[in-house]
Formats: sequence, C-alpha cells, structure tokens
Amino acid sequence: MITRRATLGLLAAAFLPGLARAGGGESKYLKDKVDAGELPPVAERLPKVPRVVNTAALGGEPGVQGGSVRMLIGGQRDVRLMPINSYSRLVGYDRDLKLQADILESYTVEEERIFTFRLREGHRWSSGDPFTAEDFRYCWEDVILNRELLKGGPPTDLLVEGKPPIFSVIDDVTVRYAWEKPIPDFLPKLASPIPLVLALPAAYMRQFHKKFQAADVLEKHIIKQRVDDWRGLHIKMSRQTRPENPDLPTLEAWRPRTAPPAEQFIFERNPFFHRIDENGTQLPYVDKVVMNVSSPDLISAKTATGESDLQVANLDFADYTLLKNAETIYPINVLLWKRTLGSRVALVPNLNCGDEGWRKVLRDVRVRRAMSLALNRTEINKAVFYGLGQESANTVLPESPLFKPEYAKAWAAFDPDQANRLLDEAGLDKRDDEGLRLLPDGRSAHIVVESAGESTLETDVLELITDHFRLVGLGLFVRTSQRDIFRSRAIGGEIVMSVWYGLDNGVPTPEMSPLELAPTADDQLQWPVWGMYYATVKTKGEPPDMPEVQYLVDKLTAWEMTTTEAERETIWHDMLKHHAEQVFTIGTVNGISQPIVRSRRLRNIPAKALCGFQPTAFLGVYMPDTFWYEESA
Amino acid sequence: MKTPLPEPGAPLGHYVSDAPFDPYAAERKVEELKVIAQASQFQLMWWQFRRHRMALASGIFLIAVYLMIAISEFLSPYNLHTRNIDFIYSPPQTLRFMHEGSFVGPFVYGQTMRLDMDTLQRVYTDDRTDVQKLRFFCRGDSYRFWGLFQSDVHLVCPAKDGEFFFLGTDRLGRDMLSRILYGARISLTIGALGVMMSFVLGIVIGGLAGYHGGIFDLIVQRVIEVLQSIPSIPLWMALAAIIPVTWSPILVYVGITIILGMLDWTGLARAVRSKLLALREEDYVLAAQVMGAGSARIIRRHLVPGFMSHLIASATLTIPGMILGETALSFLGLGLRPPITSWGILLTEARSINIIALYPWLLFPVVPVVLVILAFNFLGDGLRDAADPYK
Repeated sequence: MITRRATLGLLAAAFLPGLARAGGGESKYLKDKVDAGELPPVAERLPKVPRVVNTAALGGEPGVQGGSVRMLIGGQRDVRLMPINSYSRLVGYDRDLKLQADILESYTVEEERIFTFRLREGHRWSSGDPFTAEDFRYCWEDVILNRELLKGGPPTDLLVEGKPPIFSVIDDVTVRYAWEKPIPDFLPKLASPIPLVLALPAAYMRQFHKKFQAADVLEKHIIKQRVDDWRGLHIKMSRQTRPENPDLPTLEAWRPRTAPPAEQFIFERNPFFHRIDENGTQLPYVDKVVMNVSSPDLISAKTATGESDLQVANLDFADYTLLKNAETIYPINVLLWKRTLGSRVALVPNLNCGDEGWRKVLRDVRVRRAMSLALNRTEINKAVFYGLGQESANTVLPESPLFKPEYAKAWAAFDPDQANRLLDEAGLDKRDDEGLRLLPDGRSAHIVVESAGESTLETDVLELITDHFRLVGLGLFVRTSQRDIFRSRAIGGEIVMSVWYGLDNGVPTPEMSPLELAPTADDQLQWPVWGMYYATVKTKGEPPDMPEVQYLVDKLTAWEMTTTEAERETIWHDMLKHHAEQVFTIGTVNGISQPIVRSRRLRNIPAKALCGFQPTAFLGVYMPDTFWYEESA
Repeated sequence: MKTPLPEPGAPLGHYVSDAPFDPYAAERKVEELKVIAQASQFQLMWWQFRRHRMALASGIFLIAVYLMIAISEFLSPYNLHTRNIDFIYSPPQTLRFMHEGSFVGPFVYGQTMRLDMDTLQRVYTDDRTDVQKLRFFCRGDSYRFWGLFQSDVHLVCPAKDGEFFFLGTDRLGRDMLSRILYGARISLTIGALGVMMSFVLGIVIGGLAGYHGGIFDLIVQRVIEVLQSIPSIPLWMALAAIIPVTWSPILVYVGITIILGMLDWTGLARAVRSKLLALREEDYVLAAQVMGAGSARIIRRHLVPGFMSHLIASATLTIPGMILGETALSFLGLGLRPPITSWGILLTEARSINIIALYPWLLFPVVPVVLVILAFNFLGDGLRDAADPYK
C-alpha cells in the first residue's frame, strides 16, 4: 500500500531532476578558497539533485548571497537553538505542516512500517566527505546497536512493542528500516525540532570509536576532551543538538566555527549545503550567523537598540511596545507571529505529588474542574494580554484541523458559584476561620504553586489567580525556583501544583503523535512519575493508577498501531475530548502573539506565521537559509 | 609688640574702656546661667538640637511620615488591592483647580483609554468635558483599619464613577499613591522594629561582655566574628528560604524583621563592649560598686548614659540601613512577598526595561525611599551633636 505521504515523497523526487543544476555563481565568501583549490567549485559541491526551494512560490523572492545575521542568546547552552532554527532534516515539515523530503531525495512508506530512504547522489557533509548509506549503517550498527555506547539498547522512539526495525542497505544511496508493526510517528520524529538521529558522519566519527581506533590514540582523545571513557567521548564529539564541536561535519545550512566557552558563537555557510533557490543560487543566502551571549533579562533591551538582526528567543509579548517604539530609531522591524502553545500560562496540578492529602484531592476531577471554573480568564486576558488572546482551556488552537470549540470552552467559563458547589461536593465543604476550605485531612487549603521564575507574566497571572481562588475558598501561594531545581522537585513529588506553559504543540495534525496528551515524558508536570515510566520503557517510575490516565495510555498505544488517517483523527478527538473533560491541566489564555524582530533589510520573512518549539521549530519551517539582505553588507 | 618699651620712668601706654562699669555683672550672669545649670539633660539636648535646622526639619518630616503610616488606610484613595482592569498603566493625572477659566476646586478630567493597535500601547487622553471633582472625607473602597474594624472613609476619593490616579497605576491598574502609602507602613516600621531588636541584643550582649570580660567576653567575641564573616546575601537567602511560603504575610514580615535584627546587632555589640571596657575603669564605677550597686544598675545608670550620643547616632544611621536592607531583600525576591507591599516590592515590580522606557512613574517609590533615608541621616547628625551638650 502506498500512502499519501509516500506519494508526496515521490512527487518531490519526480519534480526535482527536471531542473537544471546550480546555475548561480560562486559565493563571494568562498571564492578565495575555491580559487586556492581548497574547495571544489559550487557545481561540484552540490548533490546531483539538489533541493530546489521556490522562494517565489513561498511568497518571497529569490535573493543574493552575503551578509551576516546577528542574534542574541541567553546563555552558552542556547547555541542549541541553531540546529532547531536551521532545520535541515531527513524529512521535514513545510509551512503547511506537511511532511516532505529535505535531506533525502525521496522516501517511500509501505504499510506505515517499511520506510525506504533514497539519499541525494553526490551529497556531502560540510567537511566534504560524501554522505552515503555508510553513514546510516555506521549510526545503526556501530552506535545504536552498540551496547557499550547505548546501555539501554536502541532508543524507545525506534522500538515498536520493544522491537527495533530491521535495517538494510539497498545500495550506496538507499537504506531501509522495516518494522513488523506500524510505526506512524517515525517520520514526525525525524521532522521534530530535536530529531531522531539516524546518520552520523562515519568518516569523522570512526576516530572516536573503539572498534576503529587504536586504544592509545583513543586514550589521548579521552584525556584531551576531559571525559570518563570512550563512550562519553563518542557522545560528546557526535552531539548534533548542541553544535559545540566545530569539527563535527554537519548537513545544516551553517556550520559552527566556535567551541565553547565563548561569548560569541560564529556559524559560517556550509559550502556543501543541499538546497538551491529557483535561480540556482546555493543556499543559505546569509554567509554568517553570529550569536552573542547576553543576560536573558537584557535581550529585549539590546534587541530594542538594534543589536540583533533576527530575534525570537527571550522576547515576550510584553516587550512588543518597547520594540515597536524602537522601530523609529533603529533599522528594525517587529512582526507579530502566533505562539503555538495550547495555553500561554497553565496551572498544572501534580497528580503524583508526595503530599497524600493533596494528591487525593487533586485526583478528584471535580476539584480540577472547580479550579478551572474559578479562573476569570477575561480578566487575565485583559490585564496581561491587552484582551488580544483567546480565553481557552489548555487545548489545540483554532488553526489546528483538530480544533473543536467545545474543547476550548470545556470548564473554561468563569463560574465561581458552580466551582464552590463542586468543591463542596468533593468534600472540601468545611472552612477555617480565615474562610479557607479545609482539606478532608483537616488542613487549610493552602496551595503552593511553584514557578520556574522565568517570566514576570507568570507572576502577574498568578497574582490575579490568587484572588480568583480566594473567591472559592482556596489559598494560593507562589514559590519561585529555578528551572532545573523545579523539574527535579516535580519528579520528586515535592510540588503540588506548578505553573508552566500549556501544550507545546497547539496546532497538531492527525499525523503528529498525540504523545503530549498521555504520560510519555518525565517533564510532564501533571504526571512526571507516570511519564518517566513510559519514557524509560517501564524501568523507572510507576504505571498510572488512575483509570482516566490509563485511558490516555491505551489511546496512545492504539494511535501507534493505526495505519489510516481517519483512525488517527478519531483517536486524536477521543483524547482531546477526554482531556477537555478531565481538565488535567488548567489553561488560561492561548493564541498569544510572539514578537519577532528582524533587520529591516532582511527579506523573505513571512509577516504572519505560527511560531513555537513544536511543530515549527521556531523559525525552522520558514527556512532561515532563504532569508537574505536586500543590499548586502 | 614692635614698639620699644618706654624710657625708664615714663608712663606705659594703656587703654581704658569708657563703658559704664557694673560691679554686679558677674552675679547677674550667674542668675542667667542658673537656667542652664539647672536644666535637665533632655532640655540641654533640645536647645542644642534646635540650632541644627536641617535636623529639626528632618525630625518634623519623619514624625509626620510616621503619623501618616498609622492611618494609611484613611489617607490612601484606594484599597491596596483594588484593581482597575480598564486603567492599566495609566499615567499620573494632573490635579486641576480651574475649568474653562472658572475656579471649581480640586478636580481631574476623566480619561478615555484607547489601545494603539500599532504599538499595542494604552493611550490615555483627557476628556476636557468630563470634570470629576474630588470628594473629601468620603466613602470609597472598604478596608479593615489595622485589621480591626471595617470602614470605608477616606481622606480623598475620586468622583462617583470616576477615577483619580495621582501617581498613575501599575500593570494591574492599581493606584500607585495608595500602594506607596501602604508600602510606607511596612518599610518604615520594619526599620524601626529591626533597630529596636538589634539594640536590645547589642546593648545587652555587648554590655555584659564589656563589663564582665572573661570567658563570656571571649565567647561573644568569637560568635560575633563568625557572624560577621558570613557573606550576607547567601545568609539572607538561606534565612528567607526557611520561612515557609504558607505563612501569613504578617508572620513573614515579623520573620524578615527578626532576620534583619539578628544580623545587625554584632557591630553595635562590639562598640558597646569597647566603650564599656574603658568606662568601667572610671572612679565613679568603682564608687558605685563600693556602694553595692549590681552590674545591671551600673551598666544602665552609670555606663550607658556615658555613650548615649554614640548609641543615638548609630540608631538613626541604622534605621535607613534596615530600610535599604528590606528594600534590597525584597528587590531580590527574598524578602517580603506580595500581597504584602513595601517600597522594595514596588521597586522590584519596576525593574524591567519596559517600565523604565514606557511607564517611568512606576519608579516613583524611589523618591520616598531617598527622602526618608536622607531625613534619618540629617536627624542622626543633629542628635549626635545634641547628645553631648557640654562639648
């Protein structure tokens, strides 16, 4: 059976060879190296069938190469934003969130379980080494299946009912992964902002592998890199999510030139990048990306003084006015995109919290519903978001094909009377002398809400919610900590309720896995222990002991077996409906705008778009490699 | 001096005053001085203090401020927590008296809010036809005076269905003037209470250590050294973290006061001890001992008055330190927590770049902080001079 996805993949493949190969000239930035013979000319650097990006069809226009883009990051670790924004994937989403081949020339999917990938002939890593089936084989046989490197075995993302696929190399440019059962979220995982890694630059990585490297040389590397063993060495040198190793060959549009520690990270164009525009000019247009490390608090101020040419990170909606006023003074332009979050600020009751009294209370759906009904979302929207957000439960946005108004409205009206009634029914009907309700175990209902303390917006919303909760006899207190401590406290069950974002991906399509709705990861603050159970293949944590949550687990498992889109859509709706009724997380306002600041000369950035970690990889699906400077600096 | 001595036998050059001579002048002078000689220590101090104009003005200012915080609820036009979602980030309104050339008494023009969709900024414009006369001794937001009884009388209120934001509003539409007035109560008393606490600790511990010396002195000295060697910010953080979040705001307030007092007594204890070490060797102490006075009495009646001036000066100079300490703690998010409001909390809320660029009136709490601290410093200066009137 050939699915719609396969057809798309084939279409892309059929469309490309008809176009001429690189007709554009040599990049000025690389010209010296080409003239000196260090690099082959552009025609030889491109794969035989490059990916042609038709910028005009995307609403932009073809541009010219050159210039450098400055960005600000809030810490050294934020270089990880680079591979997310750059977004070269084997298979990636386009702007309409449809999957398409990117690094791959084409792919076919049979029965949602046999995936055949065809690489681009002549495609090279940024080091100039050919990118072939050997890189997939190395990654599969010598890394993923290597028990010394991956002690737990292959990552759970690659397992279906605990079994890995059968990997086979068909020829030099074709590989196949075949499972026994369907694995519908395999391609979405490859297209994710932090993708599943299936290929590593074998020619470079072999020098750090025990099998291919003499023990004494390996030992030297281990000492030089200050790691414990060759396992640590291999992981450190091959890390693609944080480009900290400038020598690691990459397939992204820009390759790192700086190793930390540094205050400035420089990325320069990958001479072997596989995309060209419709005129045959090799992408990316921009020669260099310079990331300056700054204090997170200062990023909005620095951006407002023109110190960034393209800024998304660390800008908040509240900064918009400041940035907009700066437009008249500095050559910047502020755009408002829409955040894909299911809720900008959400209250997350911890169903795994260690406090037994609270755990029992929070597991009562009436209490969660009452808390949701107690919120005056209109006031929150007006006070904090200028009334421009959408008052909604934590669910998908109207932009998603899965949206239904009843999901957004479920238990999201402001109705303190009904909330009081529900709380009375749930056994919190006695009050202390301050007018607060008493828990069934006799304590006053003081809820300590913990926040990672990363935005004043959360504090403001919490201040409003404190008053809303007071009306239904619940006392709310806020404790701020720091993100890492906050996470570990949540897993340890020390947090009763936290304040966090809503769903990461508020604009899913049925093809995307509904894993955010079920316990799948230990950073899910509503059920970290159950999430950990599934994230670690049932080795750590505990299985859910609430039938309501088990339902979601079963539905997710069912989704993972599906082969048709209709089935997937039904399951998505089942889960969303269940979520809406059970109010596992309490959403406030969604559809919030995200300011994007760009240099006024930077072209091809859409004026309106969706933006979020999932699924757009921030700027990723808008292809920053097609952004160009009107008059090259 | 240069003139040579006159010839031997010649008369010496001399001067004779032609003012009338009063042989009883000295006696009369004594009469005048009698008032001074018989005046109490306190009176002498007051006469001396009065001559220091700045200190006098500061003293009056501080008394006025402390009287004000006793009736914050009455003085502030709004309740501390009253939110006006329709008037978020409203700039300070101008208080006017003349409308279209005629006098109508204090009033403000009504405001209309418009959201500038281009910059997403709230723009407030005066509506020149809407005269909102202020009301005095009027009924407004209800409050519990000192947490004791319910009332709703305010010194000044906006017109019915009108608004009056003399110092503008913050991000939730709360009146800044009211918040500053309520914040003053916390900020000013925390300083005074903290100082009282550190004084009691400092004088008792330092006094005993200095007067008795020996092993007690040794232990106290080492404890002080240890306390002083601990870096203050981490210590504050640790102590602040101990305070459970579910404590009521009043308990947190007391907790912070205790923290500030506990950290501050060491310097004073040292000063008291060294002063006592010197004073206890004086003859009058020996006399008192011989007459059978106990150490508490000797310290209190004979020794402490001897360095009162030092104590007063350090007290008045410590209060601003405490106020700043609380402000700093709250600014860092370690001190008081909303809903309790102090000047430190108000300033914490005003530290983002947005505020400084777009809503500068939220920085206004800096003004009372500066004024109060300066006043305390001047007052301390005057008191120190006055405390030693015999100088």
